[in-house]
Amino acid sequence: MTFDAIGIAGSGLTAHRTWLDALSDNIANINTAVAPGDDAFRQRYIAVESAGDPGGVRVAGAVWGGAEGRLVHEPNNPLADADGYVRYPDIDLGEQMSHLILAQRGYQANAAVVDRAKATYEAALQIGRR
Amino acid sequence: MLESVTTTALTSALSGLAERQRAIADNIANVNTAGYRAKVVSFENALARSVERGDGAVTATVRESTAATRLNGNNVNLDTETLANIEAVLRYQFAAQAVGGTFSSMQTAMRTS
Repeated sequence: MTFDAIGIAGSGLTAHRTWLDALSDNIANINTAVAPGDDAFRQRYIAVESAGDPGGVRVAGAVWGGAEGRLVHEPNNPLADADGYVRYPDIDLGEQMSHLILAQRGYQANAAVVDRAKATYEAALQIGRR
Repeated sequence: MLESVTTTALTSALSGLAERQRAIADNIANVNTAGYRAKVVSFENALARSVERGDGAVTATVRESTAATRLNGNNVNLDTETLANIEAVLRYQFAAQAVGGTFSSMQTAMRTS
């Protein structure tokens, strides 16, 4: 019951890294155009939940954004339809970047917990040693 | 001697501090989890009362923080959690050294006649 801190911080690292992966995927595809008849790239949100006993966090799953995107007039694009439109995903770069900072800071905070839990283990190992 | 108030109280402190670190790790892992409420571990006051009674054995209690929540229903404060974590580590090291000290006094007592 007591020495779970490293595993719990590890679950936090996993959840935040999954979030970082999804965000970088969204940002990488921010300019992915498709033909107007196809689905636009759907941005991915990571849903997390508290993991109960002994604690920590787990990824509950991915929530996908809409496939509608927005139509942009680009007649020279080879994907454009007869009216000259292509479909771009509707991703807000500002939102993605601010989430990226949150995810990065969360990851760093969990990495720091691992360090401090390690110091505690080492202290416990010194008990009874002379 | 082996079951003295000192060793019992120090053992209680070590368990309480380890439990607090577990809770803090849980809180920081859930710093971005919607609807999560921070957990707070307390045992110091109960331990002080128990030592006064000449016992020293206590179990830590966990409660949910009543701090104000953010828009997503989460109330983990990363600053306070980080500080509490560092403090718990230092206190743990201190208590672990004290336990080691009690044991070495016992060894001294056993060696001399």
